[in-house]
Amino acid sequence: MKRYGYLALVLLLGCGDSDPAEKKDPATKQEKKVFKLDINNINPSNVKEIALVPSPAEMQKALNRAGLQSKLGDLALSEKSISMNTDNKDQLAIRCGVVLAELVLTVKTAPKPKMLAHLESLKQGFTKLGAGEKFLKTIDTMTSNIKTDAKSRDDLLRDMDQLAGIMVPELEKELGKWVVPLVQAGSWLKGANLVAGAINEEQKYDSATRLLKQPQVVDYFLKYVQREGTKKAPDEIVQKLEFTLLNLKKIASKETLSQADVKAIQSDTTEVLLLL
Amino acid sequence: MKFISRFCSVLLIGAASLLASPAYADEKEAENCLREKIWSGYEGGWAVRTATTITLEEEAHRVFLVTLYEGNEYKFMVCGDKDSNDLDIVLHNATGEELARDSDQSREPLIEFKAKETQTYYIAVYASSISEEAEGTGIAFAVTYK
Repeated sequence: MKRYGYLALVLLLGCGDSDPAEKKDPATKQEKKVFKLDINNINPSNVKEIALVPSPAEMQKALNRAGLQSKLGDLALSEKSISMNTDNKDQLAIRCGVVLAELVLTVKTAPKPKMLAHLESLKQGFTKLGAGEKFLKTIDTMTSNIKTDAKSRDDLLRDMDQLAGIMVPELEKELGKWVVPLVQAGSWLKGANLVAGAINEEQKYDSATRLLKQPQVVDYFLKYVQREGTKKAPDEIVQKLEFTLLNLKKIASKETLSQADVKAIQSDTTEVLLLL
Repeated sequence: MKFISRFCSVLLIGAASLLASPAYADEKEAENCLREKIWSGYEGGWAVRTATTITLEEEAHRVFLVTLYEGNEYKFMVCGDKDSNDLDIVLHNATGEELARDSDQSREPLIEFKAKETQTYYIAVYASSISEEAEGTGIAFAVTYK
C-alpha cells in the first residue's frame, strides 16, 4: 500500500505546476464562532436522550438535599428477588433495570448472597436480551470480586456505576435503540417508587415536586413502551407499565405535586413492580 | 495537449485518493480520557450518571437532554480525540435561557452547575474547531453529580 502511495506522490509531483489544493491558513482563519442554541428549533436528529434519566443513587442525594433522612438502599433491601423467567424482551429489559437499581442502591449495605443473587439474575436477563461477551464478562468479574472480597464496597459502587451508567448505554449499539430506555425505565420506576415511599413515610410532601416531577422522563419512556412496528405480543406487564406511565404523565403535568399525587405515584409504581 | 491535460487530471484524482489517509474519529481515545476524569472524580465524592461517545464534524453540535435535581451539583465533562482543537459546552434551561458556557480554547471543556430547580436542561456539545485533515472528531461526554 505504501508503494502505491509513493507512486501516487511521484505522479502528482510530475503532473502539476499549479498550486496544491487550497489549505486553510491559520493566520487568516476567522475569529471563533460563538455557538448559539435555539431550543425551539433543534433538529431532532441532533438530540440525544441517553443522559436524560437520573440514576437511583442520584435520587438518594436529591432526597437528602431536600431534607429527608430515608435511605433508599434500606428500603430496597427487603424487596423480593426479581425473576428473569420470561421471554418477553421488553419485560426483560425492565426487570434488568429494576435489579440494577437495587444493586446500585444497596451495594454498600447488602449481604453478599443478596448481591450475588442480583448479579446472577442480571446476567440471566442480559444474556436473554443478547448482550455481548464484554458486558457479561464484566458481570462475572464483579461476581468473582464479591465472592473473594477482592474489592471494597466503595470500589464495588464504582463498578456498579460503570455498569449502569457507561456499559448499559453502550448496549444501544448491539441490542437496539429500545433496550436501554426500558432498562432505564425499570431503574427509574424502582427509584421513584422508593422516593415516593420515603416522602409518604416522612410526610415531607412539600419536597414532592422537586423530587418526583419529571414529565420529560415519563414521555421518553412512553415513546419506547408505545413504539410501533415491533412484533411484540400484547403483554400484561408492559401494558400495566404503559398505564402507570400515562398516570404519571398526568400527575407530572401539574404545577405542584400534592400528598394525593405522591400516594398515587407510590401505589401505581408498586403495582407494576409487584408483577415482576 | 488536451489529452495530456485530461490524463493528468485523472491521475491527480486517483493519486489524491491513494494518498489521502482519512483521519477517522477516535471515540475510544476520547472515552479513555474521559474515564480517567470520571474515576478521579470519585475521590472528591462525584459519581457518574451517564457517559457516552459521539462523532462530530467541524461546527456541528449534539444536544443532550438531562434532568437535574434541585440542590444537586453537576459536572458536564467532555473529552475530544487528537483531532479536536476546540470543543465547547453550553447549558440551557427548559425555556432556552443560557445558564453556563465553557468556550475556552480546549478539547476538554467542563461546566460545573448547581441546579436551582428540578427540570429538564439542554446541554449542547459543539465542535468549534477540528484538525484540517479530519472529517470528524471523536468526543466523549459525561454527566457526573454529587
